[in-house]
Amino acid sequence: MLRFIVRRLLQLIPTLGGLSILLFVWLQRLPGGPEYALLPDDATAEQRAELRRSLGLDEPVMVQYLAFLRRIAQGDLGTSLTTGRAVTEEFLTRFPATVELSVTAMLIAVTAGIPLGYLAARRRGSVLDVAAVGGSLLGICTPVFFLAFILKVVFAEKLGILPSAFRLSPGTNRTDLSGLVVLDGLRTGEFDVVWNALLHLALPGVALASIPLAVIVRMTRASVLEVVGEDYVRTANAKGLHRNTVRTRHVMRNALLPVVTSVGLLTGALFSGAVLTESVFAFPGIGSFIYEATQTRDYPVLTGFILLIATMYVFINLLVDISYSLLDPRVRAQ
Amino acid sequence: MPTTPSSQNRSESREGTKAPEPADSRDGHTPLLGRRAAKVDRLAELMGRREEGGHGAGVWRTAFDRMRRSPMAITGAVIVAVFVVVALFSPVIAPYEPVAQTWGDEVFPNRSVFVGPRAENWLGLDNLGRDQFSRMVIGARQTLLVGVVATLVGFGVGALLGGAAGAAAVLGGRWGRQVDNLVMRVIDMMLALPTLLLAVTVAALVGPSLTTVMIAVGVAQVPIFARLLRGAMLSQGSRDYVLAARALGVRKHRIALVHILPNSLGPVIVQSTLTLATAIIDAAALSYLGLGNPDPAFPEWGTMLADAQRFLSSAPQLAVYPALAIIVTALGFTLLGEAMREALDPKLRK
Repeated sequence: MLRFIVRRLLQLIPTLGGLSILLFVWLQRLPGGPEYALLPDDATAEQRAELRRSLGLDEPVMVQYLAFLRRIAQGDLGTSLTTGRAVTEEFLTRFPATVELSVTAMLIAVTAGIPLGYLAARRRGSVLDVAAVGGSLLGICTPVFFLAFILKVVFAEKLGILPSAFRLSPGTNRTDLSGLVVLDGLRTGEFDVVWNALLHLALPGVALASIPLAVIVRMTRASVLEVVGEDYVRTANAKGLHRNTVRTRHVMRNALLPVVTSVGLLTGALFSGAVLTESVFAFPGIGSFIYEATQTRDYPVLTGFILLIATMYVFINLLVDISYSLLDPRVRAQ
Repeated sequence: MPTTPSSQNRSESREGTKAPEPADSRDGHTPLLGRRAAKVDRLAELMGRREEGGHGAGVWRTAFDRMRRSPMAITGAVIVAVFVVVALFSPVIAPYEPVAQTWGDEVFPNRSVFVGPRAENWLGLDNLGRDQFSRMVIGARQTLLVGVVATLVGFGVGALLGGAAGAAAVLGGRWGRQVDNLVMRVIDMMLALPTLLLAVTVAALVGPSLTTVMIAVGVAQVPIFARLLRGAMLSQGSRDYVLAARALGVRKHRIALVHILPNSLGPVIVQSTLTLATAIIDAAALSYLGLGNPDPAFPEWGTMLADAQRFLSSAPQLAVYPALAIIVTALGFTLLGEAMREALDPKLRK
């Protein structure tokens, strides 16, 4: 197990290294370098050249790349062109909001998707099955931002039962421990804040959950159908094991393996969805900030955020593989 | 007595197998290797036929037969056919110019005055007094263009990378495996970026335009195609016909291109159908992010939907038409692709 983790961690190095080269080349190719972004429009050509020299941009590419790596290693991803704050700082202040939203969406998707997929498989061909399969196809084919807008118009603007923007109602006082509003509220006992935050999470959470939910229902259904036909399930039933035991120990344990993988991969897709969902609901996470950065062409923010998200995505996939090998002894043996 | 017809039959069939040989020697003074290659090609063809044959029909043929009976496939095919016909003949179908603000004095978005469906404008007017139906029809063409080109980009680049990696891994020995490893690390890196972010990166770099959307969405699909083709080629690489071809000394690039590749394309073709759906949805998302085509002369469903969001509470129909069009079209391609995948997957046959 340890060797497996170490090997996977070592494999991370070339992946992240390659990614950094890609991003570095991308940074180099950007139109209008920092000499245009940092200096006023009427600066002379000499001033611009001087700034390039002081930033080391006249050095050979290899030297620049090493300097870029050194800056990254020190946690310096540059400065936002619009807010003037460090990219890492911007990321850290917004990241908890996105984590909270993504976890909410994933919880909705998993808690609804797995039972739904199981029931659809066990009652194959029933109304429930057709509805689950049809609904999940529809969910995959609906643009996330459109769904988000519909939810916003219906539940927030027409019915007025749920808030349509931000993480908390304006003027809410709370003790900030980690940036995770719900968790902080539970720890400090401010349950009104928790309730307030959950209400604000409801609409963006459902919108963001749509695609993972659809995928999980389909995966679970297909996977359960395959496992139910296996010999060991028949054996277990023939031995007279209780239905619940067969379901949890034999069917679900095997059927959930591919689902676990897809949950990991879906977490990456969640970041894409977050860009759209957060911008619709003015949710102050990294997604809405990336949206703003695309509007203002804030390149340091874009590259920095993408590097951080990609790194996280790679780590999430590592965690998925580890959990996979915990669940499936056959993977461990290889 | 009964042995005679059967032996006759056999000799006949043997002659049938030999038949192409004289043709081969005729078409050129092919060196030994070439003639061998021709023989092996024939062998692989026969093997392939027998392998697929089973019940006298090819794998594509049986898949097609299965699809004809599947309501999912028929629904998908009908949607896709209608979409493609509308897209191809859109200038003929559209009753008005999509950019003409003919009824501009009847619509006042600021005062929430919109015009709904009526006899002359089947789907009403948009916020600038243009005929919504004409814009939807012309938009189908743009949407099809985005979907097809993006898929071709993803398919082309992905198949090139995946095919090279797969061929190298199967036939290239130790060096080949290293090439494969290198290419796959690059692919993994691309997979490590969420598709929309990858697309946003490309789009932000090139600037907003229709080409940007097509390239961006296409690039995001490259790793999927590459992995798929490589996987299929690896599984084909261990088949007997490849071994036979190698044993007979067929050149490696010929084995890769003529023997392995055609047999590996099935899953990739299925994936392109599914990718068309993804491409249309992703293109809409990029348009919403303001990276789509800014030229109003070429309405595109994603851009129309993004523009209509501003009036969602006063004139929801402006957003609902393009949204429905996107959903239904994506659904059509998804249904067709899923049905194809099921029809080709022996595990799912009943």
